[in-house]
Amino acid sequence: MSSVYEELREAAELAAAPRRSPSRPLIRVDLSTSSIAAEADRLWEALQPLAAEHEADLMRVGTLGLSWLEPVVEVERPDGAGGGAVVYGPVRPEDAAEFLAAALGDHPAEDAARWLIGARTPTPGIPSLTDHPFWGPQERRLMRVMGLIDPESIDEAIAEGAYAALDRAVAMEPMAICDLVLSAGVGGRGGGGFPAGQKWKFLLGAPGPTKYLVCNADEGDPGAFVNRVLMESDPHLVIEGMAIAGKATGADYGFIYIRDEYPLSIERMQLALDQARERGLLGADIFGSGFDFDLEITRGAGSYVCGEETGLIASVEGIRGMPKIRPPFPAQQGVFSEPSNVNNTETYANVPLIVQHGDAWYRQFGTESDPGTKMFSISGALERPGILEVPFGMGMDELLLGCGGGPPDGHTPKGIQPGGPLGGLLPASDLGLKLERPPFTERGVLLGSGGLILFDERASAVDLTKYFSEFCEDESCGRCTTCHGGSQRLVEVLERIMHGDGRLEDLDRIGAIDKTLQNANCLHGQFTPYAVRGLVNYFREELDTHIDEKRDPARVAPGLTRYLITDPSDPRLEGAAALCPTACIARAPVEADDDTEEGEDGGEQAAALGDWQIDQPRCIHCDVCREVAPEAIRVEDRFLTTLSVV
Amino acid sequence: MERFAGLLQQLPRQQGEMLRALHLAQEELGWISRDAIRLIARHLRVSEAQVYGPATFYAEFRHSPPPKTLVTWCSGPSCRVVGGDRVRRIFEAEFGCRLGENTPDDELGLWLGQCNGTCEQAPMVWVNGRVVGPLTMVESVKLARRLKAGDDVIEWPQRPIKIAPATFVDAEATYGSAHGPGHAHGQEGAEESGR
Repeated sequence: MSSVYEELREAAELAAAPRRSPSRPLIRVDLSTSSIAAEADRLWEALQPLAAEHEADLMRVGTLGLSWLEPVVEVERPDGAGGGAVVYGPVRPEDAAEFLAAALGDHPAEDAARWLIGARTPTPGIPSLTDHPFWGPQERRLMRVMGLIDPESIDEAIAEGAYAALDRAVAMEPMAICDLVLSAGVGGRGGGGFPAGQKWKFLLGAPGPTKYLVCNADEGDPGAFVNRVLMESDPHLVIEGMAIAGKATGADYGFIYIRDEYPLSIERMQLALDQARERGLLGADIFGSGFDFDLEITRGAGSYVCGEETGLIASVEGIRGMPKIRPPFPAQQGVFSEPSNVNNTETYANVPLIVQHGDAWYRQFGTESDPGTKMFSISGALERPGILEVPFGMGMDELLLGCGGGPPDGHTPKGIQPGGPLGGLLPASDLGLKLERPPFTERGVLLGSGGLILFDERASAVDLTKYFSEFCEDESCGRCTTCHGGSQRLVEVLERIMHGDGRLEDLDRIGAIDKTLQNANCLHGQFTPYAVRGLVNYFREELDTHIDEKRDPARVAPGLTRYLITDPSDPRLEGAAALCPTACIARAPVEADDDTEEGEDGGEQAAALGDWQIDQPRCIHCDVCREVAPEAIRVEDRFLTTLSVV
Repeated sequence: MERFAGLLQQLPRQQGEMLRALHLAQEELGWISRDAIRLIARHLRVSEAQVYGPATFYAEFRHSPPPKTLVTWCSGPSCRVVGGDRVRRIFEAEFGCRLGENTPDDELGLWLGQCNGTCEQAPMVWVNGRVVGPLTMVESVKLARRLKAGDDVIEWPQRPIKIAPATFVDAEATYGSAHGPGHAHGQEGAEESGR
């Protein structure tokens, strides 16, 4: 331990002491994007005066990952009833007073039962968080201090051990760090899985005095929010990881490319950079070792393809983020044509842990192909969506059904969407797959960057595939015709199928487009057909029903369904008509009007006269009427000939 | 515009400052106007086309003034599997504009937003940057009508989020032992592995 670091740590521990071992109650409020979406900022304001009244301290923390219970509040009591740290949620801002009185009272287990989640540290009478299905199977390494420290205070991070690994690394030989990271086996967390140590060696061996590091925090995959949580809850881990990578590769400057959709991440990372610079943890001569390193943030502007490393580099340079053909690889010609290295945020975040604890420790968890732990963000049709960290190799069912609780309200899982729009689709029968790259690759999908979306029987696999294909079309940079033209044709075919115009030869056409797209210049185009390939391979029956029978089993495709009034006497139809966005529910004129669509339905027509009916061409299939009058309205297949068949 | 021109002068004259300059323009002016493009081009000493390229490539940059009340519809898959696309159709119908457009009077706008991972609120929209969700379809209609009526501050009562029933200790019984053998089961395994 260098004397500079030792001094820094002592000062930080002193500054952070009141929060690390509080002498009076300490209230930790989760303030992150997820919790603010659930009004944690209003709760924070409501708690300010209340905390003072109760002689308690209030602090801002990152997230514990229990997104479905946001806003989450932890109350740590040094003594008295429930003398431990207990996690509660969701605490609504309007309940703040009632909640605080209960949680700080003599019987928190009973009085605050409606908010109680579990005890993070042993607390008499309160079940431990480790018995919670969401928490129990986790191995929190990257997330160790998340939700405990203030992400806007460098003192708390240092007191918890931040920058100790950097202190160690600056005294190491660059090649030794690369070797260590390589033998730990940490792979690219963006989904590629390429060994980070190997990539670093390429950069270390590159000639020239100027080299750059780039951190890919352009987490564009919808449903993936691992990087966001890292940057919002423990930004110094990322900075430290990049600084160590700088030492290992000979780069002295880095860019953190954060997508514009993460304003809080940008804010907190910027603050963390400023604080680190102030303490001499960035800048010239770090820890008196002669190692110089600095970082800046590049704010993205909404482009998915900038998540591809050459696109990202172009974007850092300030031009359109269009990927280039590799080689030259970034290690040869990257940012501003200088040798560069691009890694995912989570990859960098793993580095301090490896330097601090060693490669053997790192390999305690995980599998041969993917050692270590991985943060996953789980969402979709789940009881408990959120973010967690588990060892590689865990069963997907354990994660999604165990931790995530499976679909709510007794719905049945239908499929999984791993790895974002380019990741593909898996059927529910593959829930048993182990969470590591090889089994996913074998099934023709990608594990990707950690987003897993479960969908149940209410969702249409065809509709999802169309969405992902549209997304890829929209986000194609346009450089190669293969990609932008291919994705356009793919969307056209899928749209036609969803409008009941599917043809038998469409399957061949999809196959041809798939084959063509594999020749696209970059991964964006090459991975675009993964979704449709998943549809053809695993949801064939559903696709065939669309094409052959012109029917959508999930009944979501507007082109294949229609809303019909089955009970024109239901009084709730009045309310449904009032809420219909297109005012397509109206009472039929007393004289028969044969021009309406309803007129073609034969039998029911006579009864419907003077009663409520739906003007089909104007109906947008929004489901509002059925929510209001579920017994009076039914979604039918559009191309069914007789109404009596359901 | 003068303020923007002044702030722009503080940026280094480097190609790499392009995105920063465009963000600055959008923050100061609300959108990227033709005049802003000219100013940026002059400052960074590149052609207007070299500014126009990135300004139109990146989805966040707008080329028309923002509406007074902006509804950003989350296009993410987590929203979509629980009815997100219906929410879009409702707002389009109620506002009378397509996704990505403003109403003719620029009072309301419906723009596309990318998933930022607040998926537990799905299906959701952002109203002037604030998350509103989870929305039922009826609530979507009501929200759209309130915004149309000029309610600009929306205190949207959030539904109490349902807490999963099996919260404690019976986790193992319900979902199988976390570290025991036999996890290679499919969806039925959830029930089978109870003990």
